[in-house]
Amino acid sequence: MKQTVLYTRRSRIFATILLLIVSIFVVRLFYLQVIQHGHYAALADQEQLKKERIPAMRGLIYAKSDGKPSLLVMNETVYTVFADPAIIKDKQEVVDVMKRVAGGNLRTDFEALLDKTDSRYQIIATKVTRLQADKIKEEGLSGVGFQAVSQRVYPEGSLAAQVLGFVNGEGEGLYGLEGYMDADLQGVDGRLETVTDVSDVPLTIGDRNVREPAQNGDNIVLTIDRNIQSYAEQALAAGLKRTGATNGSVLIMDPTSGEIMAMANLPTYNPAEYFKVTDVAQFNNNAISKPYEPGSDVKTLTMATGIDQGVVKPEDTFLNTDAIEIDGWTIGNATKGKTGIISFQTALTWSLNTGFVTVAQRLGDGKTITRSARETMYQYFHDRFRLGQLTGIELANEAPGILYAPDHQEGNAIRYATMAFGQGLDATLVQVTAGFSAMINGGSYYTPTIVDGYVVDNSYDPIDAPKPVESGVVKESTSDSMRAMMETARASSFGYLDRQGYKIGGKTGTSQVAREDGRGYKDDESIATYLGYGGTDMPEYVIMVSLSGEGRELQGARDALPVFTDISNWIIDYLKIQPKG
Amino acid sequence: MEQGWRRQRSASPSGSGSVVVRKHRPDHLIALYAGMLMLIGLVLIYAIGPQRANVLNSVFGYDYSDTYFFVKQLVSFVLAVGSFVFFAMLPYKWVTRYATQLLILGLLASVILAIAAWAGLPIVQTANGATRWFDFGPLGTLQPAEVLKFGVLAYVAVFLAKKAKEGPVNDWKNTLYPVMAVTSLSLLLIVVVQKDLGTGIALAAIVFSMLFIAGLSWRNVAVLSGALLVIGLLLIVSAPHRMERVMTYLQGDSSTTQDDGTYHIQQAKIALGSGGLFGVGIGESVQASGYLPEAINDSIFAVFGETFGFVGTMALIVLFVALLMRMLRVMDRLADLRLKLLVAGVFGWFGAHVILNIAAMIGIFPLTGITLPLLSYGGTSMVFMTAALGLVYQLSRYTVHESRIKEETHEDSRSRRGVGRTRNASRRSS
Repeated sequence: MKQTVLYTRRSRIFATILLLIVSIFVVRLFYLQVIQHGHYAALADQEQLKKERIPAMRGLIYAKSDGKPSLLVMNETVYTVFADPAIIKDKQEVVDVMKRVAGGNLRTDFEALLDKTDSRYQIIATKVTRLQADKIKEEGLSGVGFQAVSQRVYPEGSLAAQVLGFVNGEGEGLYGLEGYMDADLQGVDGRLETVTDVSDVPLTIGDRNVREPAQNGDNIVLTIDRNIQSYAEQALAAGLKRTGATNGSVLIMDPTSGEIMAMANLPTYNPAEYFKVTDVAQFNNNAISKPYEPGSDVKTLTMATGIDQGVVKPEDTFLNTDAIEIDGWTIGNATKGKTGIISFQTALTWSLNTGFVTVAQRLGDGKTITRSARETMYQYFHDRFRLGQLTGIELANEAPGILYAPDHQEGNAIRYATMAFGQGLDATLVQVTAGFSAMINGGSYYTPTIVDGYVVDNSYDPIDAPKPVESGVVKESTSDSMRAMMETARASSFGYLDRQGYKIGGKTGTSQVAREDGRGYKDDESIATYLGYGGTDMPEYVIMVSLSGEGRELQGARDALPVFTDISNWIIDYLKIQPKG
Repeated sequence: MEQGWRRQRSASPSGSGSVVVRKHRPDHLIALYAGMLMLIGLVLIYAIGPQRANVLNSVFGYDYSDTYFFVKQLVSFVLAVGSFVFFAMLPYKWVTRYATQLLILGLLASVILAIAAWAGLPIVQTANGATRWFDFGPLGTLQPAEVLKFGVLAYVAVFLAKKAKEGPVNDWKNTLYPVMAVTSLSLLLIVVVQKDLGTGIALAAIVFSMLFIAGLSWRNVAVLSGALLVIGLLLIVSAPHRMERVMTYLQGDSSTTQDDGTYHIQQAKIALGSGGLFGVGIGESVQASGYLPEAINDSIFAVFGETFGFVGTMALIVLFVALLMRMLRVMDRLADLRLKLLVAGVFGWFGAHVILNIAAMIGIFPLTGITLPLLSYGGTSMVFMTAALGLVYQLSRYTVHESRIKEETHEDSRSRRGVGRTRNASRRSS
């Protein structure tokens, strides 16, 4: 019968339709679950995972005080107050409360900001303290919210400001230690990722829950001694006042370790209010960032080179005519009249340029500064005393300076003749101080360092005493001779200033300042420096003083030396150095 | 109607086209597949029940325990197994004999529900502005639409078989109008009064499947499909929430609106997609913790896909298809047209649920609020579904080989074996 055939055929049609639809399902499911799996897994993460950042606490910075860590930089939580103008009910109440509680923190145009009802987020006050924030919260204002922000606090005010640097509004460390060690200080923010249900209640489902605690930043202890730093800043300020200089730097280093005991720059600023600084030059740590022609201080290095090479001895003599000609270019002395056959000690005492050009000549064939003389000088100045290159001190924005090699077009005999008395090269105070330290400490070069250790779990964890990066920079005997020369030089004119029973030596410097157009030197401006040390048998501190000012002719002996003397006499007591002999 | 049925019965032993067959072993695969599907559902509810309870507790302040949904589903499971067994045992003749009463019962229950809802009696449960359930307190709830669905299934099968025997299946006046009248009345109660489009679609699928198998001409298939389409469109346009669903569907992935439907489909796709090839594993579904609406009811397929991945959804689809194909096989081998149509109706019912539910979850058809049979949480739908499956299971005892149907329904059949069997069977069945 036809009917039966029909039933079967209809049944087949059902089966076909069913299989057709199901094959669409299979294809679609393959697309959704296999091909698009990544896409949907990402969407799932997006809505199911609640991601939070656990902010790491920025590391604290300590100075030392009597050998113990003493806080220089701390953190405090302040609040940024924001408004959601769209849901503010009573604008006048918000205005009244904010003015009453946090008047000084308000943005000047905050009332206008509250009227922007198409906006959901307007910052109306910043740096509100916890106390103020609590008071505002008590008022129960609708549409006002708080955001906790960590900011730096400086219990010592502007002390060592350029050494520290500052932290900007984005939490980024700039300049100084904050800039150089930003990553270490910042630490690593923790992550908190939780799978939550639709109302953000955490679930214990799956393997996507992440809890990485924040790693707080390193708490760094500086080699800076807060008392020495403080005294150095005062002495420098007094020096500026006395001399009329506008800029000054003092660098105090332990010559037997390279540790910076103080590093002061004026003018300075308060890092808590870095945003009020109008001249960004104030952020610069001139002791490391501003190369200059170091001048006569470098004569000691020339002398050390000569002695170390065995071409001169302090008591050797030369004919001083107050002028010396190199390749048709005549070099004169600043102090005239010490003419005749004089010793190199005399040349150092009176800072006579001719004496040190002579040393340079004797490094060559005795008459000219030969290529080999220049190479020797370059080896000592650049490779051993490390002038004209970065020292690697742990501070941001260090500048390398320039020292021309003999194979350089600029590295001719005239250049090296001027370098013998400290002109014609660019170096920073820290470079000169570090090289000088190596010369006087028996010949060990220490990298200048400012990091003394860390505070870990509230206890001081000093790093190992620095080791010299190079020994035998000069011979031990050279070092002894140089100290004797400098002590003699200082004693001959300024010995009466020093405390008895100590060995104080040093060298004045009056550097000419190169003209900005590169044509010679300014005739109305000079930088006064004094580079000296003190101690008993061995030097225990090196102090570098530098004073300068636009259009000011400052002199090493007259202007910089008193600052050295002031600090030197004080520091002997502070460091409790016992007199000898 | 009852008289008609009696006439048919009395005529059947000698009438052409009716084959009396010996009762034999049922098709156990039907029970096996159905049982597997129900167990999968139970496992899934067990896994996501705590999340469901959590969400309801935290959002609505209920106090469901972690095992609340599992225990309730376990009760439903037992009831459903009971219902399967009951309909597998209850002689199918009861169903065919009391088809009319069953239909009337369903209609009455629906009407009473509507009146009770209108009168605000406490025996009804109202959710989302629709009253669909009787609430018998501790005895549980009952959805009269399910009774009605069953009633329509039984009644139309018997009615159509009778008409088919007489010839005029495609006769509008004698056959199609009455069927349409019964169907329309039921749809009116279910879709318009109870606002349950899903059950309505299932009902339409039941009737349409039976009509199709009974031999509805292609022309009338087209006419009825058109009519259903028009009714469907009217229903969609008349209800804003349905319109929304359709718009969501039409906009597809590019939809920028953030209405409930878009959200629902998007969350279903995230559930399926994040499941990947092998799924996130039992008890690891996050989408069930409130992201995916109706996670334990209409959206259980998506949760299943999240939990067991593509491999799981394939296995599940294979199970569903196997069960549906099994029904077609039983249908093909039933000689009695009434029984054939009963199976066709169950096929339409079950198939419509499976297809419409999955299609909505994978975003290729608008949401209709239809459950995934045997897996979705909810007692009434499962109990009635298993009742229908139990009936099919019972009917699988009366199948004969297809060739025999052909032989014996031919007037000039010369099979002796058939005659012999007939005698044998009639002795047993009496």
